[in-house]
Amino acid sequence: MPQPLEGLRVLEIGNFVSAPYCGKLFSGYGADVIKIEPPGGDVSRTHGPFKDGVPNPETSALFLYLNTGKRSVELPLDEPAGRDAFLRLVETADVVIENFRPADLRALGLTYDDLSAVNPRVTLVSITPFGQQGPYADYRGNNLTTFAMAGQMYITGTDDGGPLKNGGYQADYQGGLNGFSAAMLGVLAAERDATGQHIDVSVQHCMAPILEAGIPYYSYLGRWNRGRRGNHMASFIGIYPCADGHLGIHIMPRNWKPFTDAIDRPDLFEDPRFVTQADRTVHNDELMAEFYAWAATENKHELYERAGKMRAPIAFVHTMQDLLESPQLNARGFLTTIAHPVAGEATYPGPPWWIGPDGWSAGRAPLLGEHTEQVLRDVAGLSSAATEGVAGGRP
Amino acid sequence: MTAPLHGLRVVDLTMVWAGPFGTRMLGDYGAEVIKVESPRQWDLLRGLGLIPRDVPRWYNRSGYFNHNNRDKYGFALDLSNETGREVLLKLCEVSDVIVENYRADVMDKLGLDYDTVRGRNPNIIYVSMPGHGKTGPEKDFVAYGTNVEQLAGLVSISGYEGEGPMKTGFSYGDPMAGTALVAAVAMAVRKRNRTGEGSYVEVAQRENLTAFVGEYLVDYSMNRELRAPAGNRHPHIAPHNCYRSAGDDAWLTIACEDDDQFRALCTVIGRPELADDERFSTGAARKANEAELDAIIEAWTAERGHYEAMHILQRAGVPAGAVLTIPELMSDPQLRSREAWVAQTHPDAGTWEMESPPWLLSRTPGHIRLPAPGFGEHNSYVLREVLHFDEQTIARLYAEGVTADDPDEGLHR
Repeated sequence: MPQPLEGLRVLEIGNFVSAPYCGKLFSGYGADVIKIEPPGGDVSRTHGPFKDGVPNPETSALFLYLNTGKRSVELPLDEPAGRDAFLRLVETADVVIENFRPADLRALGLTYDDLSAVNPRVTLVSITPFGQQGPYADYRGNNLTTFAMAGQMYITGTDDGGPLKNGGYQADYQGGLNGFSAAMLGVLAAERDATGQHIDVSVQHCMAPILEAGIPYYSYLGRWNRGRRGNHMASFIGIYPCADGHLGIHIMPRNWKPFTDAIDRPDLFEDPRFVTQADRTVHNDELMAEFYAWAATENKHELYERAGKMRAPIAFVHTMQDLLESPQLNARGFLTTIAHPVAGEATYPGPPWWIGPDGWSAGRAPLLGEHTEQVLRDVAGLSSAATEGVAGGRP
Repeated sequence: MTAPLHGLRVVDLTMVWAGPFGTRMLGDYGAEVIKVESPRQWDLLRGLGLIPRDVPRWYNRSGYFNHNNRDKYGFALDLSNETGREVLLKLCEVSDVIVENYRADVMDKLGLDYDTVRGRNPNIIYVSMPGHGKTGPEKDFVAYGTNVEQLAGLVSISGYEGEGPMKTGFSYGDPMAGTALVAAVAMAVRKRNRTGEGSYVEVAQRENLTAFVGEYLVDYSMNRELRAPAGNRHPHIAPHNCYRSAGDDAWLTIACEDDDQFRALCTVIGRPELADDERFSTGAARKANEAELDAIIEAWTAERGHYEAMHILQRAGVPAGAVLTIPELMSDPQLRSREAWVAQTHPDAGTWEMESPPWLLSRTPGHIRLPAPGFGEHNSYVLREVLHFDEQTIARLYAEGVTADDPDEGLHR
């Protein structure tokens, strides 16, 4: 069975996280993804964490993870020869992914009009903090500022601690996933109509509407709860420290019985203060005190397994070690080992979603410029002499 | 131009947030989505709208439901009933996609597993969206909204510096699974266009979100070191933080990625000499002295409104972003200029603003074509025009309670 994206050629001229994550998904599900890196490489190569903590453009965990299965071409898009070579690649491409500031893309002369002039079937996917138009379109943005401008930051953290970004590059990943979903719609339309288009993904626009009921309550009812709720939506939905980590409970009305059974606290089930969800809300602080005391002595793995079998909604905060050792992820084959000539072997997450046993492939990330000559010769059709003039960046 | 998913019929059994958010986007971009709810067990978001129970058809007025279920048809069908299940299979025969987000064992127990559905429609695209996946020792464990990011490893790396893990302010795994659903369905459609074959697709919510912290897993597997939560700071970029602004609980983020941006920041805040100060003149120096630097920056931001400071800084080329609240998002000039919020009218709920389809496809744009369905609103359309049932059959389905135009509210008050 062929992979679902077999036969697609994708060019990625994006840097750092959002566009590369989009490109990674294309690659994993079977497309031929050519990553164009500026001379010196994608900026994520300079970000750690590095293998053994030693900076090396080939051992950044961020770069290794986000660029699995791609080919790397080192090409200066801001020089005429580099731009020309890129446009020859565009002639053969189905999709181009980019995350430049719109003004910077215009300065490169690589707007949708420029690309469609050489290949009207190409789909250009632009993933930017604010989108292509509007008053902030050319404002500078990154993961932190986008998380703030999209509303997710204000509601994360505590009132006292102030708004909090969550871990890693979540705004960028959201941009990458949204870009990929939008791009797939573009692929279907292009294959149907034999015509491409420009897809404009504003990360702010993707992120702002998804604050649970926040937007509908405000927009429809005029209700807005100022502030942040830390680790607890309520006593019965939240995170509690335990003996060797942190537990996460999420009790809906139907789970109260299995929950009190799993933690062996029939007294809580019988307690008239805690009979219904409304009762538990009224006596929130008393219940929270009970949960803090209960959780403190629990062991996360043991409890999780016991509660899971009893259908009690108790999870635990998985560390990276817990993920690596997870019986579930290992049983499903979600974790894969990938060898890299410089970084060595490492464990990588597998397919974000599963579409058949052969749906996903996991190749290693490329070395910087590893495929420059091959791609310029075989794909762009440049002679070796011409390739030499372009490859390797500036003289 | 014809929408990208025009002509695709989707049977939607999903409830609450992840599934309905995803199938709504399928509808936004052209699919015909038929949302199936039981007369006795509707989508519980209908009950989470803060609507008083004495309002007529209060269950059609939940904003939370109506935002996540527009661009769908509503069909009432009881799947706990054998006749109801047979109707569903007939619906699958004339559909392209079925999506469900029940716990891993439910569809199997109902006799609506992939093999059964494929037996009725060999080319069906069957999508499950379980928390843990349909296999593995934890497949039947309960995983609700807040649990997914805990299971995905994200919470362990989130939190204030020097403190314990902190949850994201909303059930983050849900909309990410819904967003992934669109890609997963589109991929399966492409495969079917090319091979003529359907697919079984599984969006395991914890795995989809684990992919958002992949670099931490790769790092741990190489270095065996756990990274502690770092608050709003960055491992090596400084300044990179959230600063107090003038006003009540008002905040501004600033993240300078290079020396030029930092120099511009110093000029804006009236301290140009800092750019050449050895404590701050290089990225490494700024990171080493960031607490001191943050205090200097906050002295400036605290005197100004967050939007004002953002615009001043951005004009000088400094990446700065105001921490926007929900009311501010709904009036933000950028989101307004993009028409991110658009007024829509619903026959029971009235007129208000909701989010537009998020991705702008220049040639084949998404549209809001339908308000969210009232309970059972399109029973007639589905029974007569999609399934082509005769009147006698339809009357029997109503008489047996397999379908209904009004829900049994008693169970939901």
